[in-house]
Amino acid sequence: MTTLKYIIRDTWRLIVHHWVLGILTLITAGVMLWILGVTTLFSLNLENLLSHLESELVVQAYLVKDNTLDVEAVAGKIQALEYVYSLKAYSPSDSLAKLQEKMGSQSRALDMLGDNPIPWNFEIHVHSAADVEPLVSALKEMPEVDDVVYAGLVVRRISALSRISSQVALIMFVLAVIITALVVYNTIHISLYSRREEIGIMYLVGATRSYIATPFVLEGTLLAFIGAVIAAAGIIGAYLPGIELIRENLPLLTNILLTDKAIIWRFCALLTGFGATLGWVCSYLVVARFINAITRPE
Amino acid sequence: MNINFSGVSKIFDPDIAALVDINLNIEQGEFVYVIGQTGSGKSTLLRLITREILPSKGSVVVGDADLRRMRNADVPYYRRDVGLVAQDFRLIPTLTVYENIAFVMEAMSVPKRIVAERTKDVINQVGLWRRRGMRPAQLSGGEQQRVAIARALANSPSLFIADEPTGNLDFHTASEVMKILFAINAAGVTVVMSTHNQAIVNSSRQRVIELEDGRLVRDEKGGTYTAQ
Repeated sequence: MTTLKYIIRDTWRLIVHHWVLGILTLITAGVMLWILGVTTLFSLNLENLLSHLESELVVQAYLVKDNTLDVEAVAGKIQALEYVYSLKAYSPSDSLAKLQEKMGSQSRALDMLGDNPIPWNFEIHVHSAADVEPLVSALKEMPEVDDVVYAGLVVRRISALSRISSQVALIMFVLAVIITALVVYNTIHISLYSRREEIGIMYLVGATRSYIATPFVLEGTLLAFIGAVIAAAGIIGAYLPGIELIRENLPLLTNILLTDKAIIWRFCALLTGFGATLGWVCSYLVVARFINAITRPE
Repeated sequence: MNINFSGVSKIFDPDIAALVDINLNIEQGEFVYVIGQTGSGKSTLLRLITREILPSKGSVVVGDADLRRMRNADVPYYRRDVGLVAQDFRLIPTLTVYENIAFVMEAMSVPKRIVAERTKDVINQVGLWRRRGMRPAQLSGGEQQRVAIARALANSPSLFIADEPTGNLDFHTASEVMKILFAINAAGVTVVMSTHNQAIVNSSRQRVIELEDGRLVRDEKGGTYTAQ
């Protein structure tokens, strides 16, 4: 307990002695973590939007015209494919009725066709856009399937967009983490370097490495933690009003965007914890390296 | 605390021999002057005792501890029993006189009340109680040296190492510092002090170890020193 008190006092001394550097670190860590948070939220929303679009993607499979065909067995076969999320079967008469409904007043033209030309068909929903192409290939290989209709170009574009957005989000995330880590690492390094002589004296008069190191590690952790709190406050201050604005002007997106306040608060808590952990890891690494080097006998 | 040097050499890069084949034994309670010209190896010898450096050859044993074999983690605990005073004082500039002295005990997790009592004792011992709130930069050289002595005394060490403690001081202040060192030795503490101050060595007639170009050229009880 006594040691803890001394260490807390020494941490406070460090922060006070390097207050300018501390404020710069707070601001930089805060800004970088804010960017990290906003990027993550943006990615989550984009992911939601793409998932929504993907869930709207439909593959229509038309079966061969054969009265002896076991439609239920074919449906089971298609349902067993790993790409299929859901499947809905339409009989020829249901399909014709649907078409007539769609065509409205022009539906009389269908009467000229004589017999109903539409075979049994399935409306298939997939898990993601990436599943569409392999599903279509699998369907085309089935002898019971006569034709497959789908929006190929849209599927390819959504799939590409989804892939690119995930990659961009990952790159942004990694960059923000690296920059924040470097800022904390450098701050503690400068703090250590400016006090290298003192550290040498402390070690010479009998202070253990951990006693010398702990205040520096705590300083780095605390600065990153406060930076993360500032970032979280910035996210709450910017994101929630932004969502309100979108809700008012683009109500269509309301159900797609991440609007649950509880989730946002939880996300901010996670960001704060992440910031503190990042600060601790960086400070620990730099302090261990520096103190090992400075206390090693020649 | 006994000190034993056995065949000790220290070579610094690039191939500079600071000490060559030193063999010596210092008994508990002795007062020893290590003399010699600048660059003769005095500081290297003392830095080997404080384990700031390790011998390139041979062994340095202090008390029961072979310093070459000592684990890095044990070094702080060893140093708590060794008081160190250097020519450049080595005080922490951001701390006050009181804080500099208290620090060595705080690092050992000594409770605050005991730290306060002991710090007051040693500051009084060197006559600096009125200066306790000042930082090193606000003190004269002699006062800073007395703070360094007080700090070295704080843990009641068995061994006291003084590397040219009077080097930056005038004769009067140096005499005061020497009085404190003799008092420490009188209490049974082994004192090893490097100096090239002829007057100080000749006025007290203690054991003298003389180094020249890193070699031990004289080891004489009650010796004198004639600076060249």
